[in-house]
Amino acid sequence: MKLKIESAETPDREQLRSLLIEATEQLSGAGTNILETRLRWDGQPMLLADANLHPVLVSFEPEHSEAALLNGLRGVEQLCNALPWINQVYESLQQKQQPPKLVVIAREFPPGASAVLRLCPGLSLYRYRLLSVNGEIALWLEHLDPPPAMLAGQESAPRQDAAALPQEASNDILPPLTDAESAYFQQL
Amino acid sequence: MVSRLNPAWQRKSTSSSRLAQISARFLGTTQAATHGDDVCRAIPFLLDTPEQHWITDELGQILTQRGHPCTLCSPSEANPIEHSFRQAQAAEPPGSDAYCLLAVACPATLLKYGVDHVVLLVPASLGGIRDAYQRIKLLSQHGAPDIGIVLVGPRDQHAAWRYFRKLAVGTLRYLDVPLLNLGFLPEQIGPGQDAEASHRHNFLARISERLLRSGFYSTLTMTTPRRNA
Repeated sequence: MKLKIESAETPDREQLRSLLIEATEQLSGAGTNILETRLRWDGQPMLLADANLHPVLVSFEPEHSEAALLNGLRGVEQLCNALPWINQVYESLQQKQQPPKLVVIAREFPPGASAVLRLCPGLSLYRYRLLSVNGEIALWLEHLDPPPAMLAGQESAPRQDAAALPQEASNDILPPLTDAESAYFQQL
Repeated sequence: MVSRLNPAWQRKSTSSSRLAQISARFLGTTQAATHGDDVCRAIPFLLDTPEQHWITDELGQILTQRGHPCTLCSPSEANPIEHSFRQAQAAEPPGSDAYCLLAVACPATLLKYGVDHVVLLVPASLGGIRDAYQRIKLLSQHGAPDIGIVLVGPRDQHAAWRYFRKLAVGTLRYLDVPLLNLGFLPEQIGPGQDAEASHRHNFLARISERLLRSGFYSTLTMTTPRRNA
């Protein structure tokens, strides 16, 4: 059979959503469950659960990769804060309280993608193309591999959970103790 | 006559900025709920770790059993995800006795909400109360909400009181923030221990009683439809 492959027009958000729903196992592995196809957060991302029961937020934009990334980061922060409730609402997460992961998809990788990947171990970046194969629309996804330095670091150092990031951030903004306060809390 | 009070108990003199804060809180304009929003009585909890969610889960169940239909809310303003403890009441609008429990682990999230009441779940350890003090310090710099304390994991009532007193004296002395003692959960009880269920229930019931009796809640608007499990 002869294949006729050509590029197709850029889809709108809902067309892309439909195609991504069919490609969830490609995004977060075999055994992925779809929890929500449309969260009413910025960018209306999807929520999946991977085989290891991590919630996976899929943030996507047909064109604007920066918006997809920013919406995704914002969504992950909300997920971290709401982790107990997410685990309670979605039984398929089995109350494991696993830290969320983020998948960002756009037509191009966002600027500074390699640096962002290096800093966020729970992040996966994809770019997509829409193809017409013998008249059928198909989605082609290209994964951005993490930089080699990051891979080496993962082998030698324990991986930092994505859920730890907001906690650290919140601790960063806590006001320091004065000398008097420190002395006061030295002993019970 | 010279005051004989322990210096730790002496409050800072009321400053004009403090008065301004109080004035703004009680006399300021309140944000009106927009059309389609649910106005609800929310009890915000600041968890020390996400693992403490079992406490708010079970408190919600107890409040529901006591005739106060209770939902759990996520901290997202844009799309609160709520879980009803009683599916049979899922379709009912929030009544005057209804509450929603809002639990977060990050103080910055609560600051975004501008809540005026916060319950802190504080581990019974020196490090735990020091961390709680820092969180209270942060909260007091942004709106000065009323703060209730639940000690988690003290050996007994006396230990709970010692930890609470240490924290309360510190916040009163350095921050001029009084704390409300809402109770404690002793170290013997925890999630998933069926043998201790009634024991746990008793302690949580006491906390819920104090929450209700003191009217410890914030009024928030929820902008999205409720979600039922």
